[in-house]
Amino acid sequence: MVTHDDGGNASPSSGSGVLSRLFSTHHKTIGLQYLWLALASVLVGMVLSALLRLHATWPDRAIPFLASMESTPERFAAMRLLHGSLMVFFVLTAAPQLGFGNYLLPLQIGAEEMAFPSLNRLSLWMTVVSLAGMTGSFFLPLANGINLWLASAALFSLAALFSALNFATTTIDMRAKGMTLPRMPVTVWAWFVNAILSMLIFSVLLAGCSAVLSDRLLGSNFFSTASFLAAQPQNLVRQGSLPILWQRLFWYFAQAEVYVAMLPCFGIVTHLIATFARKPVWKERLVVLALCGVGLVGFCVWGYHMFATGLNPYAPLVFSVLAASLGIPAAFLLASWLGTLWNGRVQLNTAMLFTIGFISLFIAGGFSGMFLARHDLARAAVSEEFVIGHFHLVMGVAATFAILAALFFWFPKLFGCRLNEGLGKLHFWMTFAGVYAIFMPLHWVGLLTQSHVLGDAQRAAIASAGASIRTFVTLATVWTVSAQTLFVINFLYSLLHRKRAEENNPWRATTLEWSIASPAPEGNFGDVPPVVYRGAYEFHGDSELDFAPQHLAPELPAVKAQ
Amino acid sequence: MPGTTTGQDIKLIIEKGNGGGGGNTPPAGGDGGGDDGKRGREGQPSALKYYTGIAIAIVSILMFFMALASAFLIRKGTGGWVPVRIPGLLWVNTAILLTSSATLEMARKHLANSDLSGFRRLWRVTTILGVLFLVGQLVAWRILAGQGIYLATNPASSFFYIFTGAHALHLLGGVCALLYVARRNFDQAKVSLGVAAEVVSYYWHFMDALWLFLLALLYLGK
Repeated sequence: MVTHDDGGNASPSSGSGVLSRLFSTHHKTIGLQYLWLALASVLVGMVLSALLRLHATWPDRAIPFLASMESTPERFAAMRLLHGSLMVFFVLTAAPQLGFGNYLLPLQIGAEEMAFPSLNRLSLWMTVVSLAGMTGSFFLPLANGINLWLASAALFSLAALFSALNFATTTIDMRAKGMTLPRMPVTVWAWFVNAILSMLIFSVLLAGCSAVLSDRLLGSNFFSTASFLAAQPQNLVRQGSLPILWQRLFWYFAQAEVYVAMLPCFGIVTHLIATFARKPVWKERLVVLALCGVGLVGFCVWGYHMFATGLNPYAPLVFSVLAASLGIPAAFLLASWLGTLWNGRVQLNTAMLFTIGFISLFIAGGFSGMFLARHDLARAAVSEEFVIGHFHLVMGVAATFAILAALFFWFPKLFGCRLNEGLGKLHFWMTFAGVYAIFMPLHWVGLLTQSHVLGDAQRAAIASAGASIRTFVTLATVWTVSAQTLFVINFLYSLLHRKRAEENNPWRATTLEWSIASPAPEGNFGDVPPVVYRGAYEFHGDSELDFAPQHLAPELPAVKAQ
Repeated sequence: MPGTTTGQDIKLIIEKGNGGGGGNTPPAGGDGGGDDGKRGREGQPSALKYYTGIAIAIVSILMFFMALASAFLIRKGTGGWVPVRIPGLLWVNTAILLTSSATLEMARKHLANSDLSGFRRLWRVTTILGVLFLVGQLVAWRILAGQGIYLATNPASSFFYIFTGAHALHLLGGVCALLYVARRNFDQAKVSLGVAAEVVSYYWHFMDALWLFLLALLYLGK
C-alpha cells in the first residue's frame, strides 16, 4: 500500500492507484467509504424487510431468494437478525456518526485531519470485515453462524471504540483558532457527546461478546453453557438466572445504542432547521445541554428492558422514572426545533422536508414510547408488534430521515452537485406516507391482539381483522421499498450528470465547511488555517445576505456568499 | 531543540516551495517540550492529542473491565461457584509490576535531567520487569492448570482466567509501547521523546492500578 502513515501530510493523491485511494487515511475518503457501506447495507436491509413481511403474510408462497434455503423458523429468525444487524450497525450507527462525522467533523472545526488517521483507517476496515462476517453468518449453519456473528459484533465494537477515541480527541484538541466550545456547531456537539457515549457502551458490548464467545468456543462459564449445566447437580443451578446476566450486559449496550444512533441525528436536524429557517438555534446553549442529557440518561436507562425478565422489584420503578426522564431532554430538543421554526422564513426544499419528517416521526414514535416506559404496562397490554412499530418509527425510520436530510444537504459538499429537488420531493412524500402506513397499523395490531379482557368470540373476530391489517402493512412495506428506487435513480442520475457546482455555498450556510470549494479539496483549508470569529448560527435580517459565516471577521461589513 | 517559531516558518516556506508534495517530510520544528503551541495549526506537532487520546482510552478500558467486574459480582451469587485459590506467585508478580512503575518514573526523571543514558537503562529495566510480569502470569496459569483448574472448570475459574488474560493482553500492549519508545528515533517524529514517554507512563501506571484492583477483586471477592 502506498499510503502514508502519518496523516499530517496532505498529499495522498501522490499515489493515484485505486488501492492507495481505497486504503487512504484521509478523513473525507474514509467518511465517504462509510457512507457507501451504509448505502449498500440499507438497500439490502430494506429488501430483507420486504421479504420478511411477504413471507410472514403469505407463508406458503415460495420466495425466489429464500426458496433455495431450508424454510425453518431458525432461518426466518436468522434473516431477521441479518436485517437488524445491517440496519443498526452499518446504517444507523455508521452513517450519521462515522460517515458524515468523519467527512464533516474536521471541516466544521477547521482541522486538516482527524487526530489519529491511521487508527481511523483501521476502524474502517475492521467495520468492513465485521460487515462481511455478519452477512456471512447468515449463510452458515446456526451454531457456527452465531459464533461468527458474535465475533463480528465484538470486532465492530472495537472499531467503534477506536472511532470514538478519534472523534473525541479530534473535537477536544484539533479545533481551529477561535473555535471555542460555545461556537461549535450543534452537529459537532452531537458527534462529540455521541463519541463519549459510544466509548462507554461499546466497551461493555465488547466485554459481553468476548465472554459469550468464550463460553461457546472455550467452554468457559460466564453465562453458563449447556455442558456446564449438564455437569452440575440441578439444585445448584438456578436455571434462567444466567441468561439474564448476558441480557443485562446486552441491554446495557442496546438501550444506549438507540441514543448512539439518534444523537448525531439530533445534531443534524438542529443544524438543518436553523439553516433553512434562517434563524439562530433557539436556546442553543440548552440544546447542547439537552444533548449531553440524552447521552447521560441514555447511558443509565438500560434496566427498563428488563421489566419482563424480573429485576429487583424496586429497580423497574427506578428505571421507569429514568426512562420517563429521558422525555425531558427530548422534549427540550423538540421545543427548540419548533422555536427555531417559529416565525422563520422556512425554505421547504427536500432536505428540510426530511428534517420536518424526522420531527413528525420522532413525536409519533416518542409518544408510543411513553406507554412502553411504564413498568407495569410493558408486560400486560402490548405485543411484539407494538414494540416493533415503536422502535422502527423512532429509531429506524426517523434516523433514516435524518440521514437522508443530511445527504440532500451535504451532497454538494460531498460530490460538488445537488440532488434533483423534484425527484427528491416525490421520494420524500412517497416514503413519508409509506412509513406511516406501515408502522401505525402495526401499533394498532399490537394493541388489538393482546387484549386480555376480551372473550374468545371477540378475540377471534379481532384476529381476522388483524390478519387483514397485516396484509395492508405488507403491501405498504412493498410500496415504501419500491419508492426507494426513486432515490437510487436520483442519486445515480445526479452523480453521473453532474455539472460543476455553481457555487461553494448553495444553502447560504454559516459553518466552516462551506467556506471552501465543493467538493472539499484534498487539503481542506490549504495553507491558510481558518480562524473563527463568531457562533455557528448567525442568521439575521431580511436582506439577501442574511447570515454571517463563522470565518467572517467582525470588522468586515458585508458578506460574500461566494 | 531549535527555536520553534523559526522552525515553523521555515517549514511553511518549504511547503509552499514544493507545493506540499513531500510526503515524507514530516513537520520538523516545534518538538520543544511539546507543551507550547498545543492549539496551533494542525499539521504541526500537537502533542496534546496524545494526552487526550490516552485519557479517553483509559476510561474506555476501565469500562470494559467494569462490565466484567459487575458480571463477576452478579455471577458469584448464582450456583456452581467454586472459589479459585490464588497462586502465591501472583503476589511476586504484583511486586514486580509495582517496581516497574517505580523504575519507569525514575527513567522519566533521568530524561527530565537530560540524562539520556540513565533514561535508556531504566527504561530497559522497566521493559524487562514488564516481560517478567507476563511470564510470571503464564507460570501462574500453568500452576493452576497443574491443579486441574482450567478456563472451563467453573465460573470462578473462568473469571480468573479472563481477568488475568485480558489484563495481560493490555499489558502486552504496554510492553510493545515501551519497546516502541525505546526503538523509535524521535529526531524526525511529531512528538518529543519526553511526550511519548509520559503518555506511555500514564498507560503503564493505569495497568498497574488496574492490576491491583483486579487482584483485590479476585482475592476479596472469591
